[in-house]
Parts: sequence; structure tokens; C-alpha cells
Amino acid sequence: MRGPILTVARREFMTRMVTKSNIISLAVMVGAIIAFGIAGKILVPDEIEPEPLRLGLDPAVSELATHLEAAPAGAAAGVTVEELDEAAARAELADPDSDPRLEAWVTGEVSAPTVVFEKDPDAEVLAIVEQAARAATTARAVADMGGDPAALESALAGVAVTVDQVVEPETEIDPGQMIVSVVVVSLLLFALIGSGSMIAMGVVEEKTSRVVEILLSTIRPGQLLAGKILGIGAYGLFQIAVLGGAATGVVAGLGVFPDLEINLGLTFLLTVVWFLLGFGVFALLFGGFAALVSRQEDIGSVTTPLMFALFVPFYVSFFLVPAQPDSTLTKVLSQIPFFAPFMMPTRAAVGSLEAWEMPLALLLTALTIPVLVWISARVYRRAVLHTGGRMKLSEALRGPR
Amino acid sequence: MSTLEIDGLSKSFGSVHALRDLSFEVRAGEIFGFVGSNGAGKTTAMRIMLGVLAADAGEVRWDGAALDLEARREVGYMPEERGLYPKMKVADQLQFFAELHGMTAVEAREAVERWTDRLGVGHRRGDAVEKLSLGNQQRVQLAAALVHNPRVLVLDEPFSGLDPVAVDVMSEVLRERAAAGVPVIFSSHQLDLVERLCDRVGIISEGSMVATGTIPELRATGRAPWLLAWRGAEAATVRAALAAVPGLSVTDVEGRADAVHLAVTDEGAEQAALRAVLGIAEVTEFAPDLPSLADLFRDVVSDRPDLAEVSA
Repeated sequence: MRGPILTVARREFMTRMVTKSNIISLAVMVGAIIAFGIAGKILVPDEIEPEPLRLGLDPAVSELATHLEAAPAGAAAGVTVEELDEAAARAELADPDSDPRLEAWVTGEVSAPTVVFEKDPDAEVLAIVEQAARAATTARAVADMGGDPAALESALAGVAVTVDQVVEPETEIDPGQMIVSVVVVSLLLFALIGSGSMIAMGVVEEKTSRVVEILLSTIRPGQLLAGKILGIGAYGLFQIAVLGGAATGVVAGLGVFPDLEINLGLTFLLTVVWFLLGFGVFALLFGGFAALVSRQEDIGSVTTPLMFALFVPFYVSFFLVPAQPDSTLTKVLSQIPFFAPFMMPTRAAVGSLEAWEMPLALLLTALTIPVLVWISARVYRRAVLHTGGRMKLSEALRGPR
Repeated sequence: MSTLEIDGLSKSFGSVHALRDLSFEVRAGEIFGFVGSNGAGKTTAMRIMLGVLAADAGEVRWDGAALDLEARREVGYMPEERGLYPKMKVADQLQFFAELHGMTAVEAREAVERWTDRLGVGHRRGDAVEKLSLGNQQRVQLAAALVHNPRVLVLDEPFSGLDPVAVDVMSEVLRERAAAGVPVIFSSHQLDLVERLCDRVGIISEGSMVATGTIPELRATGRAPWLLAWRGAEAATVRAALAAVPGLSVTDVEGRADAVHLAVTDEGAEQAALRAVLGIAEVTEFAPDLPSLADLFRDVVSDRPDLAEVSA
């Protein structure tokens, strides 16, 4: 025998899960994700492996070779130098199919080199050649003065600059954690918009079909509501898991974003905890409030204010938290149970949390849930047998059941 | 198996007193008919029994203890406003209700098969409820009340909307459950059915019980008039003979020229009347004219002119 909450939860889960339309739409979405993944793999070009810059060098200026090869090559993977005579170099420059491509041919004198291009001069190549010419000329001059060019070079290599700031630098935002918190907070929003309306519709469906009277003769309204939220929540999470799993599988399997790394540590665990707490808080509100109406077409009148109540903390955590991470307003709001599930993960990501803030907010939100269970069950119990137009909230809280 | 006691229930909705100190009991193995006009408080009383509503005062006891949530799992309830999940399959739905009442999945499956077969909807187990005819939905609703082998049955208007075959099946099931020692209470406006089926009847009016008892007991309350019918004499002749008998008032029987009602005010006056008529005509009927439940009900209700109109 299962407890009544689990029996209700199981029904909610199964009746949504085991329908043709649900299985088809899930399959279509998973298919679409895989198709997008494959399309992405095909359409987004792999990052081009940086190749070394290939330069031809007139044997007359072969002295430049070591300085050219030592030059910092920007995006290219170093510089390779090859001695070529003029005829061979010009032929290769003119040949569009030469591989690896010859960028330019350097001739003239060490202190005044000439660079021959196929057509348009490349600024990077010019800079490399110029730097090599300066280095070679400097080395020559040092040697002429009786110095040791190698000693000069190593002395130059040892030059280092240390940075100091009068104003403290801003706290660094951990980009990985920020991405995780943005994803989780957005998922929370979307999961609540989806599941919230599902919960509201489920409550009203039971009211409209009057099945609720049989249910309430057997189980407590709180149990019915809890089972409903659990079942629909599990279904919502299942969808996220299937779609998210498909997306992760596609990304990992096909290597669409090879550099993406997510830290699965304590911060991730905390964001998951916040997701569940936030879901609990808002799902209870959706369930309790939906009992106030009796017809599917009236659902909007209770879900619209709740949707609004979801968007406010969502936008606040996106705009207020990064702009004023340490303001009193941010600190106060993020302790309020309806804001905390959105703001705390964001604040943790921004890194502006003091040690006591997160535990306090977790405690406050966790304590709110039993209170909300009580209020929602009370509203639910009193409103659920009420038929006709929308019942006023104050009426449901005060009136006889 | 034990008695279901309804003790002093009161309930108000704002200024409307739905129940006023309602008390009665349903004994183990007894079918109790709950009769009253619309708005008399039957549904409210049943909802309170099932804990769907809370009473302002009073208590419902079963087996001497308050009928709490745990005990209510043993109750089979059919609400007046029928309720099933329209898009859920019959078997899944009944299975859910059975499990909610504490059965294991295996027990529940077996019970679902048994009751759907018994109630004649076995072949529709795999269909969504909304695809069934209203009559069949009603049978499923009854199955939902019976599927967990309840030890108390509370049925609000179980017969409304049923065809005669279904009424027979339903009556048989109720008798069988009562024979197994289950207290059964049901409300109905079909008074002939109540009369046929119930061991005891309670008539509720304006939220309080105005009469309870077996049908013969209820009939015995108040003196029934005697019906006297005859052959071979004019009505005027018979009436003239009766007029000479003291302690008697004579009234017409609706639709019959060969019979009269005798309301007896003096003990034994009906015997004198019989002797008087035997001299002039052949008596074909002579018996107390017991009122039907409908008559009793009308009497009770017409004592309250505000309700007479409702019941009409």
C-alpha cells in the first residue's frame, strides 16, 4: 500500500505521461534536438587549426631567419622560414594552389628588407619582418660595439612589469557559475510557468468534474494538493531531464561546444536545492489559488497575477543583482522567500554573498513552505467545493468550509 | 460491524441553517432510506458524514468512535454531484480510488474486475469515462463507491439516472452489502424504491429529522382511515346508513364511487359501520388504508407550508 500522497502523485504523473500526445510530442522534441545538434555540427565549421606562417627568404638575408622564427606570430602557430631564390618564390607566390601557402618572400638588405607579396601586403607579416630587421640590426650594432648580442637578448627577455591598483578591483564573476545560475533560474521560471498552469488546470479539472468530493472524503486536502504538486513536478522534471539529457548527450556526443565545462560541485548542488525550494513555494501558490475558480476559462484570473509574481523576482535577479551586488535592497530582497530562489543562485554566482546570507535564506524559504502548505490547503479546502464564479481569496481564508 | 451514529449535527451557511441538531442512527446490516425535499439537508448531512464539510456542532460516530479520516477509508461514498476523471480509463480510475482507500495494487486490480463485471461495465474497462453513456458512467460511479469493500455505505441519490435493469442490480448489491453487516444509508426521491428496499426510513425537513422508523412504524403514526368498498347498492343509500353510525366521519375516496374513507373518532365505530353496511350491500373491501411513504412524506412536509411547494 502506498501513502495517499504518493498514490495521487503517481496518478498525476502517469495520466500525463502515458498519453499518445505526450509520448509523440516528447519524441518529436528529442528528435528535433538531435537534428539541431547534427545540423549544428555540419553547419558550424570546426575551429581552424592555426597553421604556421610560411615565409620565403632570400639567401642574401639569411641572417634574418632566426629573428623571424623568434617573432611572436599573433594568431598563427609560429613562423616557418624557408630559403628560396627569387624565381622559385615568385612562381610559388603567383600559384594560388600552393600548399602550405607562401605568405611572402623577404629580400633586400638586413636593415632594409623588401617584402614581396602575391597582391595585397599583409600588415602582420610586415610587422614580423620589421621586428626581425630591427632585432638583426640591433644585434649587429651590439656586436660591432664589442658586446654580446645573446646576453642582450636574454636580458631583454627578463624584463617584467608588475601591476598595482589604488582602487580595489571588482569581484571577479565566475563565468561558469554565472552560466549555471542563469540556466537554473531560467529553467525554474519556465518549469514554473509550465507546471504552474498544469497544476492550476489539474485542480480546476477535479473541481469541474466534481471528482474532488470523492477524493476529499478519503484524504486531506493538503495531501491531495501535495500529491498533485509532487506528481506534476516530477513530470516537469522528467521532461526537463529527457530534453536536457538529449541536449547534453548531443552536445557531448557530437562535440558541438568542445570547450564547455560545468562545475558539478557544491554550487551546482545549491542551485538544484534552490530550484526545488522555488518550485515548492510557487507550485503551492498555483495549486491553492486555482481552487478559487470553478471553470477552465477562469484560470487566467488566478494564474496571471502569479505569473507576474514570477517575472518580478526573475528580472530583479537579472538586472538588480549584477548592477548593485552589495546594496541593502539586494540583500533584503534576497531574503524574501519569493525572491530568494531566483536571487540567491545569481548572487552566489556574482560572488557577493556573505557567509550567513545563504543559510538564512535557505532556512526562511524552507520554513515558508509548511506555512504555504497550510494556507493553500485552507484556501483549497474552503474553495474547492465552491462552484460558480470566482471566489474571493479573503472569503476562502475566512469563510466556513 | 457496527452502528453509524449521527449525533446532533448542526451546520449553517451564513444565515441559512442547513442542519439543526440532526440525529439518527443506522445499524449494522440495515438499509436506511434518507428522504426529504430538495434543500432539506440530506446532501449536507452526507457530506459531513464523509468529512467533506465540517459540522458547526455534533459528531458522527462509527463503532462508538468518531468517524475520522482513518475510519472514512472504510466508507463507500457516492456524492450527489457525480465525479469521475473524464479522460481517465475506467479501470485505471477505479484502481486509483481503490488504492487511495488503502488497497494494494493486486487487491485493487482484482476488485476492479469483480465490480465492473458485476455492474455490467466490464467490457468498458479500457475506455475513457467520457466515452461512456451517462447510465454506464453512473455504474462506474457506483463501482467507485464499492471497489474498496467498504464497511459503511453512504450513497447520495444512487438510483437517479439508472435504467430499470441497473436499478435491480443496484438494489441487489445494496441488499447483499447489508446482509454482510454493512450499514447502508442512501437518499432518494424515488419513494417506491425506498419503501421496497429500506429497513428503516428517516424523513428530514428543514435540517432536522421529523420522523424515523420502519415503514410499518411510520404508517402506524397517526390513525389511518378505514377503506370501505361495496357492491349492489347506491352510494347515497350507503352514506345514509353510515350517517346513522356515531363516532365516524365519512369522506370520498378519490376516483371511486363504490368506496368511502371512514375516519374513526370513537373506538370500535368502524365495526358498527361495517354491520350497518352489511345489511344493505355486499362489502368487497374493508381494511385500514395505510398511507404510502409518499403520503407520509407529503403529510410531514405539508405541516410546513414553506416546504410543501418545494416538494410538489
